[in-house]
Amino acid sequence: MKQVVVHPERCVGCMQCMLACATAHSRSLMLFAAVQETPQPKARIHVGAGCFNEGFPNRCRHCDPAPCQMACLAGAIYRSDSTGTVMINPDRCINCASCAMACPYGVIRFHEDPLGPAGHAIAVKCDNCSARVAKGQIPACVEICKAGALTYEEMDTAMRRKNRAVARSMSTDADPPVMPAGVALLKSIKQSELQLSGS
Amino acid sequence: MKHVIIGNGIAGVTASEAIRMLNGTADITMIGDEIFPPYSRPMISHVLDGSQPHDKLPIRSEHFYDDLKITPLLGQRARGIDVDNRQVELADGTRVDFDRLLIAAGADPRPTQAEGLDLKNIFYLRTQDHVKQQTTALAGARRAVVLGGGLVGFKAAYGLLKRGLSVTMLITSGYPLSMQVDATAGRMILNELVCHGLKVEVGVSVRAFEGNGTVRVAVTDTGTRLPCEIVIIGKGVLPARDFIPKDKIDADLGVLVDDHLQTSVPGIYAAGDVAESVDIARDCRWVNALWPEAAGQGRVAGLNMAGRPVAYPGSLSRNVMRVFGLDVLTVGNADPIEDAGYRVVRSSGADRHFYRRLVLKEDRLVGAVMINGIEQGGVLRALIENRTPIRLPPETLIAPGFNFGQLLY
Repeated sequence: MKQVVVHPERCVGCMQCMLACATAHSRSLMLFAAVQETPQPKARIHVGAGCFNEGFPNRCRHCDPAPCQMACLAGAIYRSDSTGTVMINPDRCINCASCAMACPYGVIRFHEDPLGPAGHAIAVKCDNCSARVAKGQIPACVEICKAGALTYEEMDTAMRRKNRAVARSMSTDADPPVMPAGVALLKSIKQSELQLSGS
Repeated sequence: MKHVIIGNGIAGVTASEAIRMLNGTADITMIGDEIFPPYSRPMISHVLDGSQPHDKLPIRSEHFYDDLKITPLLGQRARGIDVDNRQVELADGTRVDFDRLLIAAGADPRPTQAEGLDLKNIFYLRTQDHVKQQTTALAGARRAVVLGGGLVGFKAAYGLLKRGLSVTMLITSGYPLSMQVDATAGRMILNELVCHGLKVEVGVSVRAFEGNGTVRVAVTDTGTRLPCEIVIIGKGVLPARDFIPKDKIDADLGVLVDDHLQTSVPGIYAAGDVAESVDIARDCRWVNALWPEAAGQGRVAGLNMAGRPVAYPGSLSRNVMRVFGLDVLTVGNADPIEDAGYRVVRSSGADRHFYRRLVLKEDRLVGAVMINGIEQGGVLRALIENRTPIRLPPETLIAPGFNFGQLLY
């Protein structure tokens, strides 16, 4: 089964995925209408700044077993049998934040959500764009990502490609790393900026 | 193979699920004194504060025992364990044979000493039945007294305040949750509660309760008379291990378990509030009587009982709660004795609504307190639990914008 694979080394920190994600989890499903909605839809993928101010797209890993699911006081977190996606039932969630304590990646947020009960904050996180996938679309964050930091593919395929790249980079006549030139340039600028400001 | 589980709380429930997952045919018998379907104990404080209905408490189907082909022996407690003949004795004299036994008997409220404890509307806050009686007693109640400022006392006081009662809390240390948080965070929590009308009496205990059938007044040891229509006693819990033969099964405060949650007797395991394992942050034996810990321990014990060896890394004290405008998250050894090789990194504490405190020992994080902005608390919890050496400056971990990506380099 295809899933979202994150390649953090390619992220340029443009945060387009956050916009696309929030739009995909709005009522209107259109960016310009979504910003007018109340409650305002929020992203479920979170681009943070890494140690060198490089972008880091952080989203739910849908762990198995899922620590949030085991810690959920209300029994609101469950795994979809057909897709393996870890989901939160908005009507059972009691907003106790036990899942914030459980999640080792810090990807769960707490707020009122357009797709949840009105007037109540609940725990919100990535649902693998289940609604879009059911309609034959791919997850919104992948669709929008221009840098190749988010792909939608079989995990085996992604692993094989990654293994090959690592193996190649270790051989004597190593190919240059498979990073687009622009991304590499941007990253080295950010790193040196930080070094200059630190010295 | 006959599996017997004493206790139908969350440890017993997750253990039975783990056994059934690995073995579709094994005999599983569960002994428990509550006949209510498996439910969420921590959620009862949400029922008390009125934010959730009582009927939302069950977190498993009412057909749980049938679905998992479990023989339930409910409505009574175990009275003893015959280790030599491998039998559990029940209160009514029934004897149940076992090959593998899990002691998941949980804990009971720590009793308090005072006159007039048999008056009506004096409660503990432990079971769904307690909270049901409390919500009934709320009708007509205006004033409440809460004994104890630990987790239970605090949650009781918070719930009653949210219900609009005038609440007096009697605590021994200067601020609530003194076992969970440091003084700065404790005062922030106290201020928040006081702002919402809580009255606090420090260093006071109750000598007697008075009333005509129903409690009307709590009399303190200093002679103060506190009028009240409802009293909740929240003095913590004690492992329910009276029925365990201590000459056969090693026990201290709780039942001692090894790194596979097995007791000193092969084939007998313990999990949940009754078990004493190792605290990861403190590096010593400890009973962490907490629901998420119990859920995890039950699962590991069940896997081991069903024949899949799974090591248990140890437990961690952890709590997350919302107190009106404050979200409080505390994990590990958040307030260790000073000068024992610990280093504390903290935010200024000048802000009334934001606070961070990290406790480090050598290059490891061992404790953390966060007030508001708690989304990254789980990342810190994982660093403590996995004993990860911290390579970043610790200040980074409490800076705004800290995220998992910063740990990757």
